[in-house]
Amino acid sequence: MSVAPTSAQQMNEDPAVKILTVQNLHKHFGGVKALQGVNFSLNKGEVHALVGENGAGKSTLIKILTGVYNPDAGEIYLNGARYLPGNPKQAKSQGIQVVHQEFNLLTHLSVAENICFEAFPRSRFGLLDRNEMNRRARKAMDTVGLSDVKVSDPISSLGIAYRQLVEIARALQSKSQILILDEPTATLTDRETEKLFNIIKSIKRQGVTVVFVTHHLNEVFAICDRVTVFRSGETITSKDISQTTPKQVVSHMVGRDLEQEMSNNFVAHDLGPIALTAKQLRVPQSPHKQGVSFDLRYGEILGIAGLVGAGRTELLRSIFGLQEIVSGSLLMEGSKVKFTKPKHAIAAGIGFVTEDRKEEGLILDMSIAANSSLASIGNISTAGIMHYQRENAMAKSNGEMLKLKYGKVKDNVSSLSGGNQQKVVLAKWLANQPKVFLLDEPTRGVDVGAKAEIYAILRSLASKGKALLVVSSEMQELITLCDRIIVLSNHEVMGELTRDQFSQERILQLAYKHAQA
Amino acid sequence: MNTSNLQLNNTDAARHFSFKATVRDAGIGLALIGLIIIFSVSSEHFLAANNITNILTQITINLILAVGMTFVILIAGIDLSVGSVLAFAAVIAGKAITMPGLDPIAVIALAVMAAVLAGLVCGLLNGLISAYWGLPSFIITLGMLNIARGGALHISEAQTIYSFPKLFNDFGSATVLGVPVVFIVALSMVAIAWFILHKTVFGRMIYGIGNNEEAVRLAGHPVFWYKVAAFSICGLTAGVAAIVYMARLGISSPIAGIGFELNAIAAVIIGGTSLMGGRGSVFGTLLGACIIGVLANGLILIGLNDFLRQMITGLVIIIAVVLDYYRDKYTKN
Repeated sequence: MSVAPTSAQQMNEDPAVKILTVQNLHKHFGGVKALQGVNFSLNKGEVHALVGENGAGKSTLIKILTGVYNPDAGEIYLNGARYLPGNPKQAKSQGIQVVHQEFNLLTHLSVAENICFEAFPRSRFGLLDRNEMNRRARKAMDTVGLSDVKVSDPISSLGIAYRQLVEIARALQSKSQILILDEPTATLTDRETEKLFNIIKSIKRQGVTVVFVTHHLNEVFAICDRVTVFRSGETITSKDISQTTPKQVVSHMVGRDLEQEMSNNFVAHDLGPIALTAKQLRVPQSPHKQGVSFDLRYGEILGIAGLVGAGRTELLRSIFGLQEIVSGSLLMEGSKVKFTKPKHAIAAGIGFVTEDRKEEGLILDMSIAANSSLASIGNISTAGIMHYQRENAMAKSNGEMLKLKYGKVKDNVSSLSGGNQQKVVLAKWLANQPKVFLLDEPTRGVDVGAKAEIYAILRSLASKGKALLVVSSEMQELITLCDRIIVLSNHEVMGELTRDQFSQERILQLAYKHAQA
Repeated sequence: MNTSNLQLNNTDAARHFSFKATVRDAGIGLALIGLIIIFSVSSEHFLAANNITNILTQITINLILAVGMTFVILIAGIDLSVGSVLAFAAVIAGKAITMPGLDPIAVIALAVMAAVLAGLVCGLLNGLISAYWGLPSFIITLGMLNIARGGALHISEAQTIYSFPKLFNDFGSATVLGVPVVFIVALSMVAIAWFILHKTVFGRMIYGIGNNEEAVRLAGHPVFWYKVAAFSICGLTAGVAAIVYMARLGISSPIAGIGFELNAIAAVIIGGTSLMGGRGSVFGTLLGACIIGVLANGLILIGLNDFLRQMITGLVIIIAVVLDYYRDKYTKN
């Protein structure tokens, strides 16, 4: 990119100079209009948030900017010159780097090998120059503040957060004008996110423009200078952070006033008898003798808060018979139970919405109907013979009840959006009419509109007398949804909050109690 | 359940399994028809009644093995042992059928039971071992390939067993309207397998396991036993194939069936079933077996030698998989 030195100087002096301008961008996939006239601009050296529901067009825009797709119409200017990358390599050579949501690391190779993967340094004889590779990797890792990681360690020895940072280090070691982070915090804990924010700030100081794609508005308001909202392939608004509020952004995203809808969902009602009791439950990972204890009543939504590694998922998995219970006991309606297989837990009336719907919840390449009936296949078969009519009818009625947006019940689940996929997971368990629901991150990767719908579904289940145990990393989710929250830290219950005591500060204090002690 | 209800379910099931699968099967069907047209134009003997009988007879054993193989490949497994298991079952059944002093019907019944049981046990072991320890079925069945072959050679003392009852040999060569009876047996196995895969809960679970085993397990289903059942079915079909082999050739040989597993796998793959599991149909397997059979017969009729025939069959396998890749890409968009 050749820019006359004088104009470059002007650019640096003018804080609001545009590094990138996108005008009236269109992109169609078959009949689907992914982008319909998007306008977007980046100021040099800013952190710019890109928000919008799933399918709003954020990913398509990013893929056009990074040379994966060609636009159908519209123009892009980079530093005032026409910019049209034909492939990802060209985009990179112009200094536009992207860190994708899913990891692109080779887990069995070392940190250094991963960082230098795009262009390995070669020695005089054309062999790999290991010293130079390690030197470059060291430098890149230092930039992202990971001076404590050895570059010769394999990626597999690093946690999720560090892997994310290695991805960023890899993107930054080539010259970067614009760094695009696609949902970088999706897998991070709050503390790790904070670390990432510090790194973003230091990148920004180096003059790199950062595009930050996220579902979490609190992050937008914590770190970003400007925010652009997308909806249905169009730019709705671009605003300075100081001139907007989270509430405004959300209503731009969904086109209606959502907070109102969500808070209206909560109607307190009387609780029933105790459904599930855990008494000093200990899983193999648990270091404490006292274990975890709680009561869950019918008609109640009990939230489990805590940091990653606090033992939340292990707790749910051990209740469901997927993991050994080392000591302590589990009671259903007062009588002792022991599940060694999911089958037993299901027979006792428990349903488990797992954390990872793609790996554990759904059979993506099978139909909505087949997925809906997976846990209740006995109801739609006689002596092992399937009744497809009954299955389809059941899928339809459940779909209607959950406001599922789909074409036909025999369409594959993979054709649905994240929110609708999650509804199919719910449909699968609802078909079985369980009394107790275990839900692990019930709205992970689900857009804001579908989130509100899922909250409404869960509240209505509670009002129908079901007992719900919800694990979530989003404190706001638990605060919106639950009657009561217990906070775990290091496999121990640190405290319990009733609805009038709910606040993010209280939850955090309890979650960090162990770490401070 | 009343009859009208059953019929409704039938049509519904046909719709259920689904447009995509139909397109896939139709493509393979067209390829088969194309081959038949080419061969009937280039050789006057190809469509002769006795040649068709001949082709159907040649297809039979591979088709029976491929039906069982379809179950295993649908759960993302593989069974390399079926050729050896066929020989093992044939040797045991050969011992049974040549037992002196018994009524022919009795020894035939005994032989059939012995072969099916021998095949079933081998398949059961394949399934139990690979499913219990979660080991790749490729390795376990490679072991079973050697065990069964060694067993066959040991039990038979490496001798061919012959002089079976006439009734039994007649069954192997009997035809109805030019269609070999053994082929009808194979076709009915296709029909049974279709019913199991598309109309039963077990069939649904086979597809489910092939796509996402963990999701099926977390929904409370005994994945372990479903996997064991799939391998057992595969072993059982090897036992049935052993009977057909004996009836057609009039002998039991411990070196029967060498390489049959590869032809069976080829038929399943050409038939559009994914080696990654979860996708495919036994109807496709039928078409795949027919394509291999027609190719083998037709290429020799038009004067190619057996070596070239083998090369072309290999080429067809590769083309089938490449086409499947594009078909999949196309249907996804």
